[in-house]
Amino acid sequence: MKTGMNIRSSLRGLRPHASKLKKGIIALSIASAFSVGALANTLKLAYDADPVSLDPHEQLSGATLQYSHMVFDPLVRWTKAHDFEGRLAEKWERVDDKTVRFFLRKGVVFHSGNPFTAKDVAWTFDRLKSSPDFKAIFDPFDKIKVIDDHTIDLVSKDTFPLTLHASTYIFPMDSKFYAGKDDSGADKAELKKHGNTYASRKASGTGPFTIESREQGIKVVFKRFDQYWDKQSPGNVSKIELTPIKEDSTRVLALLSGDVDFIAPVPPNDLDKIRKDKNINLVEMPGTRVITFQLNQKRVKAFADPRVRQAIVHAVNNEGIVKKIMKGFGTVAAQNSPEGYLGYNASLKPRYDLAKAKELMKEAGFENGFSVSMMAPNNRYVNDEKIAQAVASMLAKINIKVSLKTLPKAQYWPEFDKRSADIMMIGWHADTEDSANFAEFLTACPNSEKGLGQYNSGNYCNKKVDELLMQANKETDIKKRSEILQEIEKIQYDDAAFVPLHFQDLAWAARKNVNIEPIVNVMNFPYLGDLVINKK
Amino acid sequence: MALLEVKELDIQFPTRFGPGHVVRQLSFSLEKGEILGLVGESGAGKSTVGNAVIDLLSPPGRVTQGEIILNGERISGLSAKQMREIRGRKIGFIFQDPMTSLNPLFTIETQLIETLMTNLDLSKEESYKKAIELLSAVGIPEPEIRIKQYPHQFSGGMRQRVVIAIALAGDPELIIADEPTTALDVSIQDQILNLIRDLCKSKEVGCVLVTHDMGVIANTTDRVAVMYNGELVEIGSTQQVLESPQHPYTKSLISAVPRSDIKLKRFPHVDYIEKEQESKKTIDVKQHWLGQRQLGEETDVTNEKEALLRVEAINLRFETQHAFFEKNRKYLQASNNVSFSVMPGETYGLVGESGSGKSTIARIIAGLYKQDSGQIIFDGQEISSMSEGQRRSIRQQIQMVFQNPYSSLNSRMNIFDIISEPIVFHRLANDKKQVSNIVSDLLDYVGLGAAAAVKYPHEFSGGQRQRISIARALATRPRFLICDEPTSALDVSVQAQILNLLKDLQDELGLTMLFISHDLPVIRQMCDRIAVMKQGSIVEEASVDNLFTSPQNPYSQELINLMPNLDNLSREGLDDLLV
Amino acid sequence: MALFLLKRLGQGLVVMFIISTIAFAIQDNLGDPLRELVGQAVSEQEREKLRDELGLNDPFLVQYGRFLKNAVQGDLGTSYFFKEPALKVILTKLSATLELVFGATLIIIFLSIPLGVYTAVHPNGFTTKLILGWSILGISIPVFLTAILLVYFFAVTLGWLPSYGRGELVPMFWGWETGYLTLDGLAHLVLPCISLASIMLPLFIRLIRSEMVEVLSAEYIKFAHAKGLSRNRILYIHALKNTLLPVITVGGVQIGNMVAYTILTETVFQWPGMGFLFLEAVTRVDTPLIVAFLIVVGAVFVVVNTLVDLIYGLINPTVRLTRSAQ
Repeated sequence: MKTGMNIRSSLRGLRPHASKLKKGIIALSIASAFSVGALANTLKLAYDADPVSLDPHEQLSGATLQYSHMVFDPLVRWTKAHDFEGRLAEKWERVDDKTVRFFLRKGVVFHSGNPFTAKDVAWTFDRLKSSPDFKAIFDPFDKIKVIDDHTIDLVSKDTFPLTLHASTYIFPMDSKFYAGKDDSGADKAELKKHGNTYASRKASGTGPFTIESREQGIKVVFKRFDQYWDKQSPGNVSKIELTPIKEDSTRVLALLSGDVDFIAPVPPNDLDKIRKDKNINLVEMPGTRVITFQLNQKRVKAFADPRVRQAIVHAVNNEGIVKKIMKGFGTVAAQNSPEGYLGYNASLKPRYDLAKAKELMKEAGFENGFSVSMMAPNNRYVNDEKIAQAVASMLAKINIKVSLKTLPKAQYWPEFDKRSADIMMIGWHADTEDSANFAEFLTACPNSEKGLGQYNSGNYCNKKVDELLMQANKETDIKKRSEILQEIEKIQYDDAAFVPLHFQDLAWAARKNVNIEPIVNVMNFPYLGDLVINKK
Repeated sequence: MALLEVKELDIQFPTRFGPGHVVRQLSFSLEKGEILGLVGESGAGKSTVGNAVIDLLSPPGRVTQGEIILNGERISGLSAKQMREIRGRKIGFIFQDPMTSLNPLFTIETQLIETLMTNLDLSKEESYKKAIELLSAVGIPEPEIRIKQYPHQFSGGMRQRVVIAIALAGDPELIIADEPTTALDVSIQDQILNLIRDLCKSKEVGCVLVTHDMGVIANTTDRVAVMYNGELVEIGSTQQVLESPQHPYTKSLISAVPRSDIKLKRFPHVDYIEKEQESKKTIDVKQHWLGQRQLGEETDVTNEKEALLRVEAINLRFETQHAFFEKNRKYLQASNNVSFSVMPGETYGLVGESGSGKSTIARIIAGLYKQDSGQIIFDGQEISSMSEGQRRSIRQQIQMVFQNPYSSLNSRMNIFDIISEPIVFHRLANDKKQVSNIVSDLLDYVGLGAAAAVKYPHEFSGGQRQRISIARALATRPRFLICDEPTSALDVSVQAQILNLLKDLQDELGLTMLFISHDLPVIRQMCDRIAVMKQGSIVEEASVDNLFTSPQNPYSQELINLMPNLDNLSREGLDDLLV
Repeated sequence: MALFLLKRLGQGLVVMFIISTIAFAIQDNLGDPLRELVGQAVSEQEREKLRDELGLNDPFLVQYGRFLKNAVQGDLGTSYFFKEPALKVILTKLSATLELVFGATLIIIFLSIPLGVYTAVHPNGFTTKLILGWSILGISIPVFLTAILLVYFFAVTLGWLPSYGRGELVPMFWGWETGYLTLDGLAHLVLPCISLASIMLPLFIRLIRSEMVEVLSAEYIKFAHAKGLSRNRILYIHALKNTLLPVITVGGVQIGNMVAYTILTETVFQWPGMGFLFLEAVTRVDTPLIVAFLIVVGAVFVVVNTLVDLIYGLINPTVRLTRSAQ
């Protein structure tokens, strides 16, 4: 432990910035620094959270996926341009409507030294199907057929267009490593949401990094896997120290002071400060998480009138919110799909127009307005509370009196499930990176048997949308599918199915010599294996 | 050459309103081995003089004029460092309260030895030897054991002996004793005064004895200087001043001293300070609210021969050491089988030294403590076992006046609220107007004047506050008044005024009183019958005259003997007041 | 003495029982722990199944009975997030918090005593006004802001001190790792300790000052002057010891409070202690951890108070512990 620390300190000493009180330690450990070699590059990384578990199937969250891309490799992954790129699958082909064949990379080994084969993929697939968090994604699939050691068929139950989308979630695990029993006699493969399983403590993947040490909530240290298969990768980071820094300002100050090299997310309030710092590299990108309000038609009869919903959408100045509250760190939304998604319909524009809104209210017979309740979380989305307050005051201009209640997210979700208010805020990111996902969860007619409309607190229901959604989910022709999904967006736009606000932008910041630009992406899984730290 | 010479001393305490003179043009001198009494009432400036001599005036007080000369050397105006050489080495100081003048967190050894080492340049071992000698000299038994102890392990008298030992540690030429016995019981007072006197005479040490107590002056001092309002009004040999005072203030002061030799109807000439008070308004008690009884009481004509209050075999013990096992616990028997009765209209005295259980009895009667056994019978009813509701009407009939007029009044309430509170609480008046009339009358009656109602307690002097306490006690139209050391915190002249007031009240309202005091002369002036208490028990009960002329119990005899001898006090103007 | 400690132990148990009951009773109002355990897309049926597994659907009394039964055996439940016994999680973080509190206490002691004495002795001096004015400022600036300003100045602008974390640690015993034995660890302690101390320091200066003013007007101080003692001996031996008596009582409790105040400081400095853990646990609705935290803090209070009474008894000869226990 102690030597490790010394090496780290001395590495920091090699960087010109780190001329702090640590000179003594640097002097003491200069010898060990040379033994590591001048090529060693340590990245000090601060996210807002660390992975809750080393088991990649335990919880579907951003932190888990970021971790999965470090210690494991997916079959395919998204590129920056929103295309698919083969990782453990070298190439793939659609065999029929239900089957996609993957040709696996050869000569890949797990961290344990076990060779990677098709069996591991099948094992991982089965495990995913049992995971409460991931089973929904893999529900459309029937099975994996192992053709040979390096070929598999992924078979869906029905015609299914999103096989590749789903395979970005298949991070093959070392099936031999997770076989047998651990010290306490439990199955090593055991997957438990709440419990100290073997897989939550130990990991063996094929990824660019292995875990050197982990203190949950304090620090995870990753080390470059020396037998990593991707020799083409320019990545030259030999070690990563991930510290979760929950507090926004602390994270920023840690970067500014040089105590860490790379932070994400960057709080919008500090963007200006960071832009001005010439030692810091800031990368910004429009995000894919859409923030919306849903209008509950069951609770408020007026909301069943499309003119009232239209009026509300026209009354909400979402451009103003992005400019004033988000400080420009957001992309104004008129629909659920962000640009680049199949369903993105370029013809749909934001439509703030207060005069029209008033006219619509008058038309609908609500010139004098009415009173409604609104709920929003106060620690879930960026500036969520302020946004809700702004919207409430905008609605006052068309005589809709809003009584707003904001809650911490832990208390908000139970209220959301109960549909406790007339207007509720929801932000959504499609796990599948596909437009259909928005409709399935947010706007399809609520139907718990089919698992549709689970987050449709507005009870918006348009049979046409549901029909088109079914079609889209069976359409494998990308162009046709795109048209269907765009039509869904158009219908929802015309119906004013919900109040679109904006997409939360993404931002990462790093010290100048840490070249993060090529490795960050809209999914917010930085591909740290490919990260290059320049010499300075 | 005189040991100490004070010449035309002026002391000022600057205030926001300009310099306030506390001492003006004071001059006196003191010879070796002589004890000079500096007497006066609070505010006279006598303690300030003592403090000025060793340059320990509390800021912002300062000497503005005059000289202090010790053994021919001027010591006023010396630097702090030079003064430190004088303190302890040349002048020893004894403070009033031995309970507070020793640091509670250090052993006697530490406090004595640091003084010796500082002032006499002795080694630690020599200091220790000298400390033991000093403790023996001031009469502390087993000094080798006692020296290791902390102040709280000493009784008050023993502590004052330690203080004297420390004051003598630097072999001073002059001792300033500031009220050295005021906080002590009469028997201890006598011992301490004798000790100071003997030490002064045998070591040829001069002593300035600051006191308000004429008894102390009479018994201890060679000469006496009387101060009033910062000025010296009279100085002379003790005998001369006491027997034939010249200045009117001295005369007034002497006439206010409660006498143990004769009982007077009232104290004469005590109006020198608070002149306003003789404007007391008389009330026709028969007509006034104060003289009326509440509904339901009217039939209850008290039988003159039946005791109003009977205290029967009261026992109460306090646990002084808490322990899990019974055998390790220690108790103090605060009341031991106490019985007595008080007849209507009578003033019954309880006398005894501190810790004798006088106040405990008062508190049991008032319902503040609950006795372990025994009965309190008031007007034929057993009251101590009554429920809170039944007790309420009793509370109204029994009232208490406490010792300390500074802490017994709520400083955040104005006088009107303080006095009207019990009237409103017991619903003794019909409406607000009547309440305010009653309060005005009461204030007039105790000599404060109705205008006092809007003021707050801090605006009054100690004597005035005690009048307020009395007015509050009267506000419930009590039949029985318990006075627990009502004047022991007051100056003699004020004490005389308050005692006069109480006497008047009793005459006019027919109050029955339980009067508690440690001060025998006061008891003599106030009471009809007296019980002498010692360690929780009554050792003797007698009429006032019998007790003072022929005490039966040895303890009573000792107390009577220890009273300062004031037989020689001037009797000017008293003759027609004799009872 | 033994009786005193036994009594305190009993009182402590009662306090912790009450705390646990209250904490347990309010946990339903904290939110739904399941939301923090699963992804957003997980269906309500799945969540319900997990709730059953965790026993969250049982009636309150059943849950509470189970909790008490386990608590008696020293098991306060398993943290949802850490998947370890809640008590163990907290105890591993306790050392970090205690080191922080210890550092802050040292700062408070070494600054508040001389400053408090100085301001008491020179009540009208310019320096006194400066110190007291600054201490009002200190009370009114939130610790969060103090901390950020300190970091900005010393870590970002000057680059002298690190901005977050504990730095290099040396393992001690029972899993205790200390930052006091390395230069790096000490450098990491400076800013968090200063910000934590900044809340209490003004209070302590004022407390010591007012006690000292009172002690200085005491008769025995005047008597000490009359004895001819030197000024320093009077101030620093006679007066200070008496001043410290009430300061120990109030101060001890405040130091206990500081354990609670660490929540903010630890959050800003990403200090891996108990307070930081607690805040996280609240946002994650990690109820077993929340309950365990409250119980441990209750225990800390009881221990601190007991220590304060023991020290008080040592300094003050007039106090016997058997009586102070009443």
